Amino acid sequence: MKLEITHQDRYSRGELLLRTFLGGIYIAIPHYFLIFFVSIWSGILLFVTFWVILFTGKYPESIFEFQIKFMKWYLRLNAVISNLIDGYPAFGLKGTNEKVLLEVERPERVSRGLLLLRAFFGWAYVGVPHGFCIYFLEIASGVIVFLAWWVVLFTGEYPEKWHAFNVGVMRWSTRVSLYLGYFTDDYPPFSLKA
Amino acid sequence: MRNSEIKIPQPDEISSREKEDAMGAYLMMFAAWGIGFPLPIFNLIAAVIYFYINKKNSRFVSFHSLQSLLSQVPVTLINVGLIVWLIRNLFTDLTFSSAFFICLVFMVLSNILYILFSVIALVRARKGRFFYMPFFGRVTFGRYYGPRAVSFSRPVEENRPPEGF
Repeated sequence: MKLEITHQDRYSRGELLLRTFLGGIYIAIPHYFLIFFVSIWSGILLFVTFWVILFTGKYPESIFEFQIKFMKWYLRLNAVISNLIDGYPAFGLKGTNEKVLLEVERPERVSRGLLLLRAFFGWAYVGVPHGFCIYFLEIASGVIVFLAWWVVLFTGEYPEKWHAFNVGVMRWSTRVSLYLGYFTDDYPPFSLKA
Repeated sequence: MRNSEIKIPQPDEISSREKEDAMGAYLMMFAAWGIGFPLPIFNLIAAVIYFYINKKNSRFVSFHSLQSLLSQVPVTLINVGLIVWLIRNLFTDLTFSSAFFICLVFMVLSNILYILFSVIALVRARKGRFFYMPFFGRVTFGRYYGPRAVSFSRPVEENRPPEGF
């Protein structure tokens, strides 16, 4: 799995202020409204995927593509909302953003044993340890987003290390989602690194 | 083959992706469980969405998507009808008549039959084969292949239109 969000040399102060004060209306509401319905469909497909993998040992190709496209949509929206990139996030599953890169390789086979383990005990051996770490990382990320907001406002630049940290947190939680969503059999590392 | 004729695809001519997509159509019967709200109407909604997503896909996938959708309609109506009846009786202190229990038995049987046919269709679709459910199979076949469908003699077992079509 590869997740990269491009660090821009310059960030627009105008966009930053617009996003902060009106972003909820023109970005979050329309996107999350649609994402709510798509996520219901995504949930249905996840349930269907469980049964397909259980009987065939393979992740269905079209469902895999759908889920990854949905994840990309969600990531580019979050990247904009947390000021990691400028611009308006493209709507829908067909939308793209050259600044947000997510590559996930479809596995040839998915382990049925791991599938059952994840479905019934995933909360315990993935959710608890990773959830614990991600909880504190998200708090740190929130603080950095707040501080970076001021830095961008006054300098027009986003500190590179802060950007890398926030992308790392996103990468970590994406890896966990991918593992719990049966996209990969590799246990997610406790790491922010690519 | 004339232009007006539509060839019935054989398993070796259908990609594994198409087979998976066709199989997925029958799994929509579990959709309501997927969102944790097991009301039968959600299965039907999911089947409609799945059909609209796949209707521009290959004829094989479209056939199975539509057959799955159509076969869900009667069983969903029966389930919804009985649930409404049950709720109405529970909230109005009405007693459950013998007609209710007859309908309940009918509902259980129709659900078992529906699941049985869907599982067979699912397995067949996965293997790249057709499965014609009673009535719905013919209707759906007519929609996607119709009288223009032709099959060629092959040494292996081949997909054919329903008997007497």
